[in-house]
Amino acid sequence: MNNQDTVRNKVVSLSLLFIGICMMVWAVFLDFTNSAVSFRGPMLIVGVIVIMIGAYLYPTLKNHRKIVNVLFLFPLLFTFGVTVIIPLVLGVFYSLTNWDGIRFTEIIGFGNYAIMFKEPSFVWSIFITVLFVIFNMVLVNVVGFALALLCTSNLKGIGFFRAAYFLPNLIGGIVLGYIWQFIFNNVLTQVIFKFFGSQASILAKTNTAFIGIIVVYIWQYAGYIMLIYITGLTQVPKDVLEASQIDGANKIATLFKIKIPMIASTITICTFLTLTSAFKQFDVNMALTNGVGSVANFMGDYLTNGTQMLALNIYNTAISKNSYALGQAKAVLFFIILACVSLLQVSISSKKEVEM
Amino acid sequence: MKKLLALLTTGIMVLSLAACGSGVNEASGNENASGKGTTIRLVNGKIEVDAQLKKLSEMYKKETGVTVEIESMGGGVDIQGTLKGYYQAGNMPDIFVNGGATDFSNWEGLLVDMSDQKWVSDTGAAYVDEKYGTIGFPYTVEAIGLSYNADILKKAGVDPTSITGPDSMKAAFETLDSKKDELGLKAVVGYCAEVSSLYWSTGNHLFSNYLDAGLERDDATYIDMLNDGGKLDKNRLTAFGEMVGLLNQYSDPALLVSGTYDQQILNFASGKYAFVTQGSWIGATMTSTDAEAYKSAGNFEVGMIPYAFEEGIDTILTNSPSWWSVYDGDNKEEAMRFLQWCSEDTAQKVLVEEAGFISPFNSCQYVANDPFAQTIVDYQAANKTSGWHWLEMKEGLAQNYTGQVFGDFAAGNLNVDSFVSTMEKVCQSAYGN
Repeated sequence: MNNQDTVRNKVVSLSLLFIGICMMVWAVFLDFTNSAVSFRGPMLIVGVIVIMIGAYLYPTLKNHRKIVNVLFLFPLLFTFGVTVIIPLVLGVFYSLTNWDGIRFTEIIGFGNYAIMFKEPSFVWSIFITVLFVIFNMVLVNVVGFALALLCTSNLKGIGFFRAAYFLPNLIGGIVLGYIWQFIFNNVLTQVIFKFFGSQASILAKTNTAFIGIIVVYIWQYAGYIMLIYITGLTQVPKDVLEASQIDGANKIATLFKIKIPMIASTITICTFLTLTSAFKQFDVNMALTNGVGSVANFMGDYLTNGTQMLALNIYNTAISKNSYALGQAKAVLFFIILACVSLLQVSISSKKEVEM
Repeated sequence: MKKLLALLTTGIMVLSLAACGSGVNEASGNENASGKGTTIRLVNGKIEVDAQLKKLSEMYKKETGVTVEIESMGGGVDIQGTLKGYYQAGNMPDIFVNGGATDFSNWEGLLVDMSDQKWVSDTGAAYVDEKYGTIGFPYTVEAIGLSYNADILKKAGVDPTSITGPDSMKAAFETLDSKKDELGLKAVVGYCAEVSSLYWSTGNHLFSNYLDAGLERDDATYIDMLNDGGKLDKNRLTAFGEMVGLLNQYSDPALLVSGTYDQQILNFASGKYAFVTQGSWIGATMTSTDAEAYKSAGNFEVGMIPYAFEEGIDTILTNSPSWWSVYDGDNKEEAMRFLQWCSEDTAQKVLVEEAGFISPFNSCQYVANDPFAQTIVDYQAANKTSGWHWLEMKEGLAQNYTGQVFGDFAAGNLNVDSFVSTMEKVCQSAYGN
């Protein structure tokens, strides 16, 4: 009786699987042949559902749990595949062709990669991005940590200050960029005009515009980092602090000998957080200067993209210069750099955790 | 029990998936409806005339029963980029906007040749490709010239027609500069070379005078040189550079390096500049956004003079700034029928009188209610217009290269000679890769 049931279930399950696969294949086939049949979409979905039911009904005790797990993971895996894996693979493929955003006519191998390193404006973008990352990694952390110290002291109205410092982070980068563009171009110029008699905006020259972007970025990001440091600082055990006070440690000694070593892992997290986000800087850069600024002589060229960071350079290469394949090649390099940084971060923080 | 629960959850999952499925279903249903030719979709690049186009679409629906969906983009949206996305998604509109040779070359072989349409014989402004025929439908005419405030020039005793070359331009600027206070001027010229958001004004429009000013409409000498590896004519560019230097000198310093388009137009509309380095499109802004300031400045008359950087340059640059193209899809016949209707009397009345377009069609009887309309009509009648060959420049040239050079010149980092040499260097490297 039981055996009969199993056989019956097996037949039902296998036939459901078979029907489902047939429906899917046919639907995909119709799609590729550009058929005008309107039910191919629903058919694909019904096919998937039939396969799922078939897999669920498959009579096995050993693998039943596995099948259920896969079925429940399926929506997530599917979304991840469609939105991350497929574009990534396609992106790498397009970077090897002469794709113009619509179609490509030939595969040119690593030509795009060779071109991009010979392009002074791109090398300059890498250079100032690295510079920007170094500046910000240090400055954002120092400012964020200083604010965190202020906001964990016994000042009155601490809640207000915490909220006020954090607020810029809630404003979108584009809006922030335009606000500061107004400040630099319309407010600061008037102040400068009063004191120095010149009306030049700091955004008009490359080096001062670069400082402008750093200022805005710190303003946006320091509050966020501050919050993480506050969490770290409040978790420093009270008994250790009290013991040090009894031993006669002053404030500075407490800070450097107790507090900072105790939050070392927080510092690692914040450092990598600022590193990756500064590296990916795009919106403030675009809204504030749109990458303009001149460099008189770099690798024998007169550059016109003085403040254009890597992400914006990729965007402009693809969109405004209409070389999608070259932009894609740059994006692949961008991905590799960021992936290396992330792997490094993972390995360092896991080591730290073992030590603690 | 456990099994029942599992079955129940799977059932819910299946149901939710099926719900997604029905969503897909609806979308494909829509597609089908358009396949029957009852709905066509138009991507419009001039967001400021969105309402007028929607009115046109209503009129057309009443007349023929065909729905025209208007999808307006503008205000800094990268239209070609969005269209490429639409193409990837299989969601192409039936009619969409293209701004010039580089835009058209994106869609090589995907556009319909409209040479056999009736409207083609009625206009000289259609976009004609050597290989693919007439692939662009013109809908308005815009002009690039040095716009002036006629009332102020009259008060100062400067005759705009007397400005025929660099010397007379300089003399006129000097006269105006000396009477600045009594005329209530902030500066003689409203010239803005801000790079990040006004690169198009300098790098495209002002630079287009180097390419075309004073030449026949189809004279492509300088654009051909430029497109041949970024070559520039040194003498012509030096003369042009000297005029730009003059504009730098007499412009409002608060505007010159870090101003905005809005400031520039508002100050001109309020009568604070005698000249402004923008073309006929500012008429629409002056009579809508800045209408109050324009009214309190007395709704003064405006006009345009050529950028006469060499003695004898006497043309302004007019063209259709962009064209509508028909995508080679299922609805092309319907789409072309709609365009034909747009070129005819009923539609032209709305396009000209309400949207403020200057009609490119000879049969059109209406004159736009735009401050610049009369000037353009006059120049066209006198045959003193040149073409817009800047549309054929390499994509992104102004944004990524030349706009910055104008900005540096304005900021005082370059003089005329280094402006010329830098321009040569930058164009070469732009065309080099």
